[in-house]
Amino acid sequence: MTELIQIVVGGIMQGSIFALLAMGFSLVYRVTGVINLAQGGFCTLGALLGFSMQSRLGLPPALAALGAVLVTSAFAALVGRVTFVPGLSRLTNSNMLMMSAGLLTLFEGLVLVVWGSQPYALPPFSGERPIAVAGLLLPTQGIWVMGVTFVIIVGLWYMLARTRLGQSLRACAENPTAARLVGVDVARMQLFSFVLAGAIGAVAGVVVGPAISLQFDTGRLLTISGFVAVAIGGIASFPGAIAGGLLLGLVGQLATAYVSSLFSNALALGLLLIVLIWRPSGLIRGAAGRRQDVRDEARVWTHVTRLSARTAWIGAFVLLVAGLVLPWVLDAGLLGALIITLILFITLIGLDVLMGYGGQISLGQAGFMAIGGYAAGYFTTAHDWPPVLAILAGIGISLVCAMILAGVTLRLRGLYMALATLAFGLLIDSCAIGFDDITGGPSGLVGIGDFDLFGFAFDTPLRMYYLVLGVVVLVLVAMAGAMRSGFGRALQAIRTDPLAAAALGVNVVGCKMAAFAISAVLASLAGSLYAFQFHFLSPDMVGTPRSLELVSMLVIGGEGTLLGPLLGSALLTVLPTAFQPLALYKTLASGVLLAGCSLYLPQGMFGALTRVLRR
Amino acid sequence: MSALRVQNLSKRFGGLLATNDVSFDVAEHSLTALIGPNGAGKTTLFNLITNLFAPDSGVVEFNGISLAGLSPGRIAKMGLIRTFQTARVFPGMTVLENVLCGRHRLLGHGLFENMMWLPGARAEERRLATQALALLDLVGLADQAERSATDLPMGAQKLLEVIRALMAQPRLLLLDEPAAGLNDTETAELASLLRAVRACGVTVMVVEHNMSLVMTIADHVVVVEAGGLIAAGPPSEIQVNPRVIAAYLGEEPV
Ligand SMILES: Nc1ncnc2c1ncn2[C@@H]1O[C@H](COP(=O)(O)OP(=O)(O)OP(=O)(O)O)[C@@H](O)[C@H]1O
Ligand SMILES: [Mg+2]
Repeated sequence: MTELIQIVVGGIMQGSIFALLAMGFSLVYRVTGVINLAQGGFCTLGALLGFSMQSRLGLPPALAALGAVLVTSAFAALVGRVTFVPGLSRLTNSNMLMMSAGLLTLFEGLVLVVWGSQPYALPPFSGERPIAVAGLLLPTQGIWVMGVTFVIIVGLWYMLARTRLGQSLRACAENPTAARLVGVDVARMQLFSFVLAGAIGAVAGVVVGPAISLQFDTGRLLTISGFVAVAIGGIASFPGAIAGGLLLGLVGQLATAYVSSLFSNALALGLLLIVLIWRPSGLIRGAAGRRQDVRDEARVWTHVTRLSARTAWIGAFVLLVAGLVLPWVLDAGLLGALIITLILFITLIGLDVLMGYGGQISLGQAGFMAIGGYAAGYFTTAHDWPPVLAILAGIGISLVCAMILAGVTLRLRGLYMALATLAFGLLIDSCAIGFDDITGGPSGLVGIGDFDLFGFAFDTPLRMYYLVLGVVVLVLVAMAGAMRSGFGRALQAIRTDPLAAAALGVNVVGCKMAAFAISAVLASLAGSLYAFQFHFLSPDMVGTPRSLELVSMLVIGGEGTLLGPLLGSALLTVLPTAFQPLALYKTLASGVLLAGCSLYLPQGMFGALTRVLRR
Repeated sequence: MSALRVQNLSKRFGGLLATNDVSFDVAEHSLTALIGPNGAGKTTLFNLITNLFAPDSGVVEFNGISLAGLSPGRIAKMGLIRTFQTARVFPGMTVLENVLCGRHRLLGHGLFENMMWLPGARAEERRLATQALALLDLVGLADQAERSATDLPMGAQKLLEVIRALMAQPRLLLLDEPAAGLNDTETAELASLLRAVRACGVTVMVVEHNMSLVMTIADHVVVVEAGGLIAAGPPSEIQVNPRVIAAYLGEEPV
């Protein structure tokens, strides 16, 4: 019994962390309608700032904490002013989601540049010794977390319910147009909600920091936990966010105690999927929906990027010749980078069909790469299958997963679709670590052989390069045909206006399914090639960070264009290889680029290039 | 047989009875106008017919088949095509691509054939493009075919939406205020287009505020007010119907 109580208390402590994170999400979502993935970034920044102020500047802990929260808030104000708030009036919600992913990457990159990649263990506020209450051992930091969470909940409630400022915030949440009419400065309120969420994030980081091990990419994990919590509880309501956080914490602790810590993640994600299927808007529902037959006019995406047929043919020819000649002039390191670029490009073409053309956000694309990669590795090493068969097996498994996932998610709107794919990716992550007989666990699957086709082994980089190039060309030709036909048009129509598309007889669900299937097949194929290229595969090569990187590449290169992603993939793969000393800045740069591109170059570098060429 | 039969349709939004026990028939090959003051529930009727949301009670039959429970996509596939009150051209696509979208329901070649660039599939694409351009030419938009659809002025966008709906080869076409935002020349173009469409054997139902347009092109008029049907008949009768005059024509003399 004591044990159970101990676990439950542990769950509540853990859950308080999630609830804190979830409240930041909910606040920004309610006022702006956007999921701000950068939320976890505020936490890392706040925690590490506090740590440095204490250890470097020698400030007393309380002052350091205050300083950290203030500096983080100021930074949030700057970022919000320059990117987030201007984006709100120009970008669709899904592009805002991408942009906030860019901000998260930017935060990570910043932390990486300033604090490096090593983990930090921050000192607890009141010593390491847990205190004993009624036979229970409670870590002091956990008590701090619960206390701070409670104070913030009460403070936030008071502000929203009892102050003029809160009233204005709520007005923006309920009906921005009406709020504007009665004289609320909506843009200011949006900025305020962003900064406030940043401050909450920083406070969370400062108190949570000592309870966890902290490094540059911890923010991402915190973002994901908070996101999952808020999705379970119901994003449009504060009680929902809190309940979701606590529930997630409890389930996690109970699963760790009674099942296995390896699968506690999987259980939490299972919980999320169940909630998404059963009650897409979360356990506690917020405000009512809007009229469906009117479109949100101001914020649809309106750019048309088409090369003239002649330019396109000349360009394709030049690219093909360059592709054939390039390996002869590059050194080994760059050739390797080029092969990776092309392999990732295969995944990106699929992601582009799904996201760029179809407008369905996927944050779990690397999950399919993992399936393809591990299938290729496992079946060829453990069962001596021919590589082609192993690749096909991977594609088959990916297709089955994709169809199940699509069946669950297609009823869901953009945001929840993003969430479900993220959950899928994380689930695959934990499977990749958990099923170590098949995947080799955290240290990876070693000894994967060469790819061979009818006895011809692709055992040199040059051969591998031409193999991958051949696949890329085939895939491109097929997808160009598909995108220029009814299917491509239907997808684009669905992207901006599914209702009008359906009113013309477009099979919306069927098209989305097909796009999903294509993206899964291509990702799986690319994952297999990836494994054959490295002769090795570990979970972090095809994990959720990779999924986010793929999204960055797509947006930076140019979504909704077939060749755009090649630019994105090359930029983020070849450049860091070519300029090794600058590799440290890669994350920061890709974050800045992602946020900048979604704001100023809606069709990425390729779109900009096209506009120049058309002139 | 009537092309569309609406029987005792009702829909409530909160406290508002947006459609109240409405019944009417649309005869095959006719051009029916649906009129009524602002907020009368005309758009709601269209939304109910195309099952954008389900009615609280009542039945809609299209060529004798009940549409209850069918998705908007399925209904469109049966040849019942509608347009929206605010132009909903697809952003990010050219004018031509927008029109081609209309034909989606009748495409003969599938995804795989197009991925393989099979000659049949490419030929179908070319044939459709020619047809689409011919349709665009009817409203003088053929030379704008390669422009981004959302760059067109509002009037042209509304015409484009009508053309897109025609490309779908509808059996019954529901147009929600196609003339709103059109200038006089465009309105005249639209009127002759609608007459031509009807001459091709397509049944048309159109929501319209422009009374002189309604009276010249329609051969049947349905009038709703505050959710309820108040009159139905040929234009000449509607023009002199005292209830209609009181409800609607009174405030906007013909
Ligand atoms: N989805 C909805 N939710 C709530 N109320 C709605 C909805 N759709 C329509 N209404 C209400 O139903 C009434 C009828 O609206 P509708 O748009 O059908 O009128 P209308 O005759 O098309 O008017 P207009 O000439 O202005 O287009 C209006 O009061 C409108 O606010
Ligand atoms: Mg209307």
